[in-house]
Amino acid sequence: MSLARPALGHGIGLRTRHFPEFLAERTPVDWVEALSENFMAAGGRPLDVLAKVRRDVPVVLHGVSLSIGSVEPLSERYLSDLERLVRRIEPALVSDHLCWGTHRGQYVHDLLPLPLTEEALDHVAARVRQVQDRLGRQLLLENPSGYIAFRDSTLSEWEFLAELSRRADCGVLLDVNNIYVSSRNLGFDPVDYLEGIPAERIGYVHLAGHTDKGRFLLDSHAAPVPEEVWALHRLLLRRLGRVSTLVEWDDEVPPLDELVAQSHKAAEIEAEVLEEPGRLAS
Amino acid sequence: MTLAEAQALFHAAMTDGELPPGAVEACFVGTSRLSAQDRIAIHADMWFARQVEALRTEFPALSACLGEQRFARLCRGYLRAHPSDHHDIGRLGRHLPDFLRRHPAGERSDLGDLAELEWTRSEVFFESKAEAIGRKALSTLRPDEFARARLRFVPALRLLSLAHPAHEAWLGAVRGGGGGKAPARTELAVWRAGHEVFHAPLDRNEALALRAALGGAALLDVCARFAAVDEPVTAGFVALASWIDEGWVAAVERPGLG
Repeated sequence: MSLARPALGHGIGLRTRHFPEFLAERTPVDWVEALSENFMAAGGRPLDVLAKVRRDVPVVLHGVSLSIGSVEPLSERYLSDLERLVRRIEPALVSDHLCWGTHRGQYVHDLLPLPLTEEALDHVAARVRQVQDRLGRQLLLENPSGYIAFRDSTLSEWEFLAELSRRADCGVLLDVNNIYVSSRNLGFDPVDYLEGIPAERIGYVHLAGHTDKGRFLLDSHAAPVPEEVWALHRLLLRRLGRVSTLVEWDDEVPPLDELVAQSHKAAEIEAEVLEEPGRLAS
Repeated sequence: MTLAEAQALFHAAMTDGELPPGAVEACFVGTSRLSAQDRIAIHADMWFARQVEALRTEFPALSACLGEQRFARLCRGYLRAHPSDHHDIGRLGRHLPDFLRRHPAGERSDLGDLAELEWTRSEVFFESKAEAIGRKALSTLRPDEFARARLRFVPALRLLSLAHPAHEAWLGAVRGGGGGKAPARTELAVWRAGHEVFHAPLDRNEALALRAALGGAALLDVCARFAAVDEPVTAGFVALASWIDEGWVAAVERPGLG
């Protein structure tokens, strides 16, 4: 099966601070990504906002708690809540992270890294297929930001993700900021990562800012997309052509206009790259 | 090392679990700039900070009362006793009111009740929507039906019975002041109208009546809770009318119709 890759355009994350504007006005971007777990409740304002936004533009559901890499069984409660939300919202895409985040029934609410081994690859691929069968649709997995590596790893993260997408027939949500952050923290060439993911598997792209903590970069989502991430995104666009992008900003969230301006910048950069001499616009 | 062993070790390292010396270094790659322990600490710090932030979001008044450091200390103890067992980090604080009652933070014995009010406000915010009826629905009851009719309430309504006036502590915290409150039996209604959550104290008779109504008592029994007041019929009518006007009542169920 090939990846269903809708041309969504350029979007932003749906954050509580902007709920009043989203309720009062037409959504000012091409599409919106909503954190799945924030909208699994039975009712309340968040669901009303999401329903209104969904009437305006396409919505992508992006989860943080699927824990696809955990050795524990997938949570039936989580899958059931996600399934209900998917039916309710009819999202353009459903994504989560290549990570684990549960242990002995406890949630750590963090995106923990996996040892990049054949055992982990088999395990995650089987679970992705299980989720896809349950939801009746493809899942996209995002590369997490990396701070630590396992000595037992035998594959690079891009090799792991590329092979996983093939074995499980799933998509990749490529976070360019995470690639940059991980490359600095773990010591690899980010261009190798960009080139190592099969283009046809990339469903959409995350762009975000990070914070320099001195000895490491933190994937803080608390700043505009920095120039080094835009530079990597340009390289990616030269390889992929047109691709849907999403600007994330989760901490110290700016006014909506400022966030929308970041999304417009993603559109402008895409137009510039696609118009470069010798490049056919896709 | 198997995947299961790797995850168990990572979890223990991140959450201050017991590990043999050198276990972290044997499993994870460190560099001269950042040792394996330093790298685990990045995750440990994020794990703790994210959960404290989630609790602060649910308990802003409690957090304001305690201040940043004492709130963080409270969270550390709480998270040890009640690690998250739900995929929604917003559910993390549901045991905090009871935890605070069992482990009071400093000299304030009223903070467990304040936490309960804040948690209830959060629950009500996320309750499902239901249409509320108007007063006309009550007037359609025949006189012989009234006594045996029952009220069905909207899901976004709670009645709290607390040992302290938590609404006063809440208001004090919201206004940036206010100290601890002396014990005083307090009945609070908490409800949502549109997207806003409200709470208000009820007098003892109204609280008894509302509790009976929420428990499925017939209107005759509900109104009987006002028998001890000077003008019981008026008091009962005023209470019923205000419940309807506030949007608490979803339906009047006629006798025999369930």
